[in-house]
Amino acid sequence: MELERRSQWLRGVLDLCVLGVLAHRESYGYELIQSLHVAGLDGIQGGTLYPVLLRLQRGGQVAAHWREGGSGPARKYYRITPEGAETLRRSAADWEAFAGGVSAILREVAAR
Amino acid sequence: MRHDTWLDALAGELRRHGVAAETAGNVLAETAAHLWESGDDPLRAFGPPQAYAATVADSVRLEPPPRRAPGGPVRLEVLGITKRYGRRTVLREVNLTVRAGEVAAVVGANGSGKSTFLGICAGLVSPDRGEVRVHGALGYCPQGGGTSDFLVPDEHFLLVGAGRGMSRAGARDSGRAGAAALDWDPRGGTQARHLSGGTRQKLNLVMAGLGDPDVLLLDEPYQGFDQGSYLDFWQQVRRWRDVGKAIVVVTHLLNTRDGVDIVLDLTPRSEVRA
Amino acid sequence: MRKTLVVAEMALREIARRRGVLAILLIFPLAFYLSRRDSHAGQSIRFVCLGIGWAMSTAALFAGSAARAVEPRLRLSGYRSGHLYLGRLAALWTVGLLLSAPYYVLIRIDQEHIRYGAIGLIMLLTVAVAAPFGLALSAALPRELEGMLVLLIVVGLQMMMDPASSASRLLPFWFSREIGTYAVDHTDGGYLTRGVIHAMVCLAALLAVVAVASGYRLRQRSHLRFVARR
Repeated sequence: MELERRSQWLRGVLDLCVLGVLAHRESYGYELIQSLHVAGLDGIQGGTLYPVLLRLQRGGQVAAHWREGGSGPARKYYRITPEGAETLRRSAADWEAFAGGVSAILREVAAR
Repeated sequence: MRHDTWLDALAGELRRHGVAAETAGNVLAETAAHLWESGDDPLRAFGPPQAYAATVADSVRLEPPPRRAPGGPVRLEVLGITKRYGRRTVLREVNLTVRAGEVAAVVGANGSGKSTFLGICAGLVSPDRGEVRVHGALGYCPQGGGTSDFLVPDEHFLLVGAGRGMSRAGARDSGRAGAAALDWDPRGGTQARHLSGGTRQKLNLVMAGLGDPDVLLLDEPYQGFDQGSYLDFWQQVRRWRDVGKAIVVVTHLLNTRDGVDIVLDLTPRSEVRA
Repeated sequence: MRKTLVVAEMALREIARRRGVLAILLIFPLAFYLSRRDSHAGQSIRFVCLGIGWAMSTAALFAGSAARAVEPRLRLSGYRSGHLYLGRLAALWTVGLLLSAPYYVLIRIDQEHIRYGAIGLIMLLTVAVAAPFGLALSAALPRELEGMLVLLIVVGLQMMMDPASSASRLLPFWFSREIGTYAVDHTDGGYLTRGVIHAMVCLAALLAVVAVASGYRLRQRSHLRFVARR
């Protein structure tokens, strides 16, 4: 996949994907990367993820607290806030509409 | 790159970008934990410390920057300054008012009289017309020069400090603190003539701020600074602003993020293209 | 007072680090002395004093020129022009006296039948006059090169002109020849008196030039007014 375009796409949706993962349960940075990988978004680096988490935290979409790690350094756990859940709900609906249109155009190409 | 070298560099860069200490601490802890757990190479996972710190600073900054409260009492009044060299009018009826806690940038093309204007404000050059009023004490940093070739930095601090009525120890400590803010250690007894151009300008800048003047006039003082020192310089300007000084900076590089309140453009009106 | 002392201290440190200037101060008078040692006693003494005067003036010229870069900002830092030139003069005089002392000892040992007290007086007065002379040149002339040329002319004239002519009294070190005659040739006290008066007049005049030139260069310009802060 073309890297330049992929990073553009990612820039648009990564915050929503993070909110989507956190909607299930709270998580910390490294674990989030693994979850995203499992879901199909692989190759996300720490340098890309953490600034997104900072922005979400600053915007009130997520809240964070520290928890002692069992065998290792303390971890900063993020959980989704009511505002974040609301943003996620609205954006998910917007995405359905948006992606639907794009898919319709591109499906024809893939089929040919 | 080893983890702790990279993390140290990140810590320094975060400080340079003005990230609050507590936030920076959190970021560093989280980043260190991630590296510990993932075993990633920091350069691969996060990139060079300078770039990552810039991204973090951007993410952390509240936007838009809160509109600053109106400034305090007037500290510098410049009224109707006109200056001619022969038949060429370099400055025509220039006015400027700077209050405590404000930063003014003086911009303009080469030869538009920026340095002359600052020299007039500092009382080193006489205008043909107009007047300047300074409320309090004045500090001035020229574009170059202003240092004594055969003296070491500490001696410069003592000299300026004595003029401002500071004790020897007070002047020396104040000078060293000012130098530290610009990422420079002035101990070591190097004579000014042996300092590099950028370091000499740091000395110049520290001397200008010594003794807590109320008004600071800085003529492109960052000549020869590397990128990091340039950021440090604007950090220092913001710190001075936050303690209520009035600062005028002559510059031809203006970054909208630098937090400037007033812009005085000295480009002659006839040359401004629509 | 404290400001003047700080200026003097820094000026001394500066001179101490200028090896070239120190070398001139030490070696030139010696070279002058040795060049005339074998002739009449008065010549060598006359020459060494002239050498001290010239070396001292040169040192003062360089010190004054080097100071010009810093002086405006020192003025802004709270010094008055008086602190600056008096402090520099104090440093130069100190250096001059310290460097003349060995020459006084040299003459005491090397020469006989001389009024040593008068020689000491010449050296004292030479140092006293040479320092403001050099500073006056640096204040009046924009570059060191022009100051050096003037010094060369003055020293040259001093050596060539007949001290009896009235024109030669315009030269700043004329007193050195006059008192020298008193010391070496054991003449009457008139020579001493005339010499001392000439030195005093030159000293006063040169100090005035330094004061006026410094005061003008570092003047508080009329367009800038300081107001007490609120």
